[in-house]
Formats: sequence, structure tokens, C-alpha cells
Amino acid sequence: MIFSQSTKKQILDLLQFLMILLAASVILVPIYWIVSGAFKKQVDIFQLKLLFTPTLENFQIIFQDPYDLQEKLLNSTLVAFFTVVIAIPLATMAAYSFSRFRLKGERFMFVTILATQFVPAVVIVLPFFILFRDLGILDTRLALVLVNLSLIMPFAIWMIKGFIDSIPLDTEEAALVDGSSRIQVIINVVVPMVLPGVITAGIFCFILSWNEFLFAVIITTNKAVTLPVGLSMFHAEEGVLWNLISAAGIIIMMPMFVLATLIQRHFVQGMTMGAVR
Amino acid sequence: MASVTLKEVSKKWGDFTAVDNISLEVGDEEFMVLLGPSGCGKTTTMRMVAGLEEPSNGEIFIGEKRVNDELPKDRDVAMVFQNYGLYPHMTVYENIRYPLKVRKVAKQLQEEQVHIAAEKVQLRHLLQRRPRELSGGQRQRVALARAIVRTPTVFLMDEPLSNLDAKLRVNMRAELKHLQHELKITTIYVTHDQIEAMTLADRVAVMHEGVISQLDSPEKIYNDPANLFVAGFIGSPSMNLIPGSLQEGIFHHSEFSLKTARGDHEKCVMGIRPEDLAITSPGDGIFSGQVYSFELTGESTLITLQLGQERIIVRGTKDFRVGIDEKVGIVLNSENCFLFDAETQQRMKF
Repeated sequence: MIFSQSTKKQILDLLQFLMILLAASVILVPIYWIVSGAFKKQVDIFQLKLLFTPTLENFQIIFQDPYDLQEKLLNSTLVAFFTVVIAIPLATMAAYSFSRFRLKGERFMFVTILATQFVPAVVIVLPFFILFRDLGILDTRLALVLVNLSLIMPFAIWMIKGFIDSIPLDTEEAALVDGSSRIQVIINVVVPMVLPGVITAGIFCFILSWNEFLFAVIITTNKAVTLPVGLSMFHAEEGVLWNLISAAGIIIMMPMFVLATLIQRHFVQGMTMGAVR
Repeated sequence: MASVTLKEVSKKWGDFTAVDNISLEVGDEEFMVLLGPSGCGKTTTMRMVAGLEEPSNGEIFIGEKRVNDELPKDRDVAMVFQNYGLYPHMTVYENIRYPLKVRKVAKQLQEEQVHIAAEKVQLRHLLQRRPRELSGGQRQRVALARAIVRTPTVFLMDEPLSNLDAKLRVNMRAELKHLQHELKITTIYVTHDQIEAMTLADRVAVMHEGVISQLDSPEKIYNDPANLFVAGFIGSPSMNLIPGSLQEGIFHHSEFSLKTARGDHEKCVMGIRPEDLAITSPGDGIFSGQVYSFELTGESTLITLQLGQERIIVRGTKDFRVGIDEKVGIVLNSENCFLFDAETQQRMKF
């Protein structure tokens, strides 16, 4: 059978559309299930009916005793916020040093920092637990901030270094000759030029910190419990309370959704930004 | 304003020597051009003056002050970079104002000086634009304005015109010359373009492999080259260099002999510029050659001739025409010939 050129194109377009639909379904079906589950009653949760009577009751329950999700929300927010606030300036300075100065053992240091990313978290969770127990900071937000910093910093340094590498040296040298000190160069020239990259790194770090589960579940028990860990408490005699988990899932997802939208804008800006040549 | 003095300055990276023990004195208000091919050490020399590279040896003075240990910001120099080095996140106004801002000049004065500098380089109408919205020539003007906005003691310019197209380069060259004349600021200008060097400089330092091959006025560099490198580098097309020997004052080449000077020398090179040669009919000239190629440049013609193993170029008038492979005679005045020692590469003077 011989197809004309336009028919071939139509078939290819259709195949392309079907592939996209399949890929989107794999990603979107669980999200649809969570979103619809959040507005269903417990009895409706396993029914695959597309039409049901939505309720906001689940959202009221999760913010009441005994669940008190607002406490977990506050913990997650503070931990993620302080992790990013500490990590990004430190990572920017470290990335600048790695990018611009040739230090002894610099390559080894950089590779070592990156290599920590490849260590399975479960391997280092016990040392962290013992360390925090000895320091008396188990089940505190401080412990979570520290542990998140150790997870996030290598990633942030690597990401921001990539952006700083792309700034032509001429621009910085011009600022030095124009009368700036090194720190003024960083503040007045480098940071504004890599701002989209820094913001992108910050948002990624926030997301990583927000979603962190393994360390939080081991080193928190009550006071510093975060949202992902909080999900595990929705059990009752009738089994897992999927409707409440779904409602809490939406609370967890909402900030991520907003941040992902922001990332997209900054990420594109970060990629297209460059000095004038 | 101030002079700039380099005393036995070297710059090494490991085993590689970029600048080898050079000494140079740039006078107050002088326009000094460092000229040479890529990798000759001219930019490194300038960067050491700016404080962007640290000399491995030697001393650098700006005026009476030894600046080896001074940071770039404390040297009171302004630099124009090859790629302009503009701040892409700032407007033209903010770019020009930046040196004043970091030096904490009063805001009122900042504004006045930015407008004066912008006026000098005809940028007033573009002050609110960002660098990416400007053409190459306009960006270059912004870089210039940023350099002149605070009247530094020394201007450093690192191939500032090399990214511009040929026509704009000619215009900007004239503007640079005018600006330097007006501001009377000691200037060190790095280029590999000999036309820029010849047109702009009070003196030219021709650099080669990390050393200064010749330091002289543009006229002397052109008319009285000190060695083979300078002879071959300056001029477009470059000087014809014909190897041969000198016996009793007669230069011998496989194709011709020419009375040039006194003395004997086994291996030497005769140099003669294309414009000092002329084409005549075969048999009439001092020697003859076969036309290898013929080029019309507009204001003149360039005729490449095969002369034994060598090819030489003759500049003819714009109306001159000749066919390829045609045999022609060549006349020259031996007074326009230069002789160089083939081993030491130095000029032989008798």
C-alpha cells in the first residue's frame, strides 16, 4: 500500500499524539486519582465513578485533632524555607570559588562533594540519627534543616556553578578594573547575572526539602514531623484513610505546583540568559 | 595623567613563558600600541598593567607608584575589553555610571558625568537601552564611555575594534584617536592589526614570542625594521623576503644578482616592499619572473611573481593589467632594499 506524503504525515502526527497521550496518562492518572479522592467520602473512594458528589469534609478533618496537619505544614514550611535560605547563599559562594579560583585539590573537592549525591540515603541515615541523638536535637526542625542542607548543598553548588561558568570573565574583570572589590563583583555583577539560575536552584532545593521523607521519618517522632511523614498517620480501624491522604496530598502538592510553574519561567530565562557578546 | 613603566617584567605559567623580561616606558599622554600576532604576550602585558595578572618577575610603575601589589581597583586605570565586558543586566546609563557608583561619587555628579561621557561618544539617545539591544558599534561606544566617565590616569584597550566590521572599524579608529587627543590620557592599546597600530600610535612596540622586537614610531617601524620578524609582520602585503648571499657588496640569488651594500655574508635575506618594486617589459628589468597570480584591490593591483623557489609580490598601479604565466621584468632601487642576517634575524647595516 502506498501512502501519499500528506497521509504519511497525518499518520505520524496521530502516532505522536497517541504517544503523548499515553505518557501524559501515566503521569496524570495517579494525580487525578488523588485529586478526585480528596473530594470523595471514604465509602466512595474505591469506586471508579467519574461522577460523584464532591465534599470538602476531608480538608476540615485533616486540620482537626488528632491529625492537626497545620503543625506539619508549619514544620515543612519552616524547614524548607530555612534550608533554602541557608543553602543558596553558601552554595553561590562555593560555586563562585569552584568556578573562578584554581585551588589545590579543587577538583578532588568538587568531585567528592558531587559524589555524596550518589550515596544511598539509607546508608547515612543511621550515622545522622546517632549524631543528632548525641547532640540532643532529635525530633527538632534544626536537625531536619541540617540533614536537608547536607542533601541539597552539593546539588545547589553544582547547579549554580554551571550558571557562573557561563558568565564571560571579561564582564567580571571589567567590574574589577572599574573599581569593584571581589565581593562587590559578586554582589553587583555575578549574582544579578545568574539570578535566574540561583532562583531555579532555590526552587529545586525547596522542592527536594519539602518532599524529603526518609530522614524525616527516622529523626522525627512528634514535634518536628513534616507533611510527607504526616501522611503515614491516616490509619484507622477501617484501614488506610485514602480520602484524607488524598486531601493531605493536595496540600503537599499545591506549593510544588506553584513552584514548578515558576521554575519553568526562570529555567527558560536561565538558559537563554548570557552576557552580551 | 601618568607614565607607565615596566621594568624587566616576566609572566610565566609553569614552563610556558608568556612575557619574557620586557622593559617598556610609556610616556605621559603617549599613545602606545602593543602590536603582534596571537600569543606574542601583548594582552598579558596589558593585563599585568591592569592588575588582572600578577607578574612572575619585575616591577610595574604607574607614575611614581609601584603597583605590583595594588588591586585593579586601586590602580586608577580604565580598560576597554575585546568583548566589551558590558554588564548585560544594566542599562547603558547604569553601565556608564558603574565606575562612579562603586567609587561612591555624589549622585548629582554621577549623573552629570554620565551625560558628558555619553555625549562624547554620541550615546545620549540610547541611555535607557540594555546592551543586548545595541549594535556592535554602539556597545563599543558604551565600553568607551564607561572608560572615560571618570578620567583615569591610564587607558588600557585590548583589541577594542576587532569585533567590528571593516567600515565601522575605520570610523571608530578615527574617533578613538580624536578622543585620546582631546582627553590627553596615557593609553596602552593592544592589537594584532598593523593598520590600527600605524594610524593610532605615537610609538609601537612590536612583540614576538614574549619579547619586544622593536619599539619605535610607526614611521621607523615601517621604514627601518630592526629584524626579520618586524619586516615580515608590518606592511600589507608584507615585505618580500628573498634568501641569498652577499659577496663583495653584491647580493646573489639563484635568479639574479644586485649591488646592494658593502661586505660579505654567507647567509642573508634581502627584504623589499611590494611598492618599491615595479614591473617592466622582460629584459629591461634587473631580473625577470613569471606571473603567478594577479589581484585587483581597487586602489592598486598586486602581482605575485614566481622567482625561482620564491614568490614575490609587486604592487602595481590600479590600471596595470597582466596575464597569468606571462614573463615580466622587475626594476627596483637598491636603496629601498633591507638586508638581514639569516641566522640572527637582525638587520645588517653597513
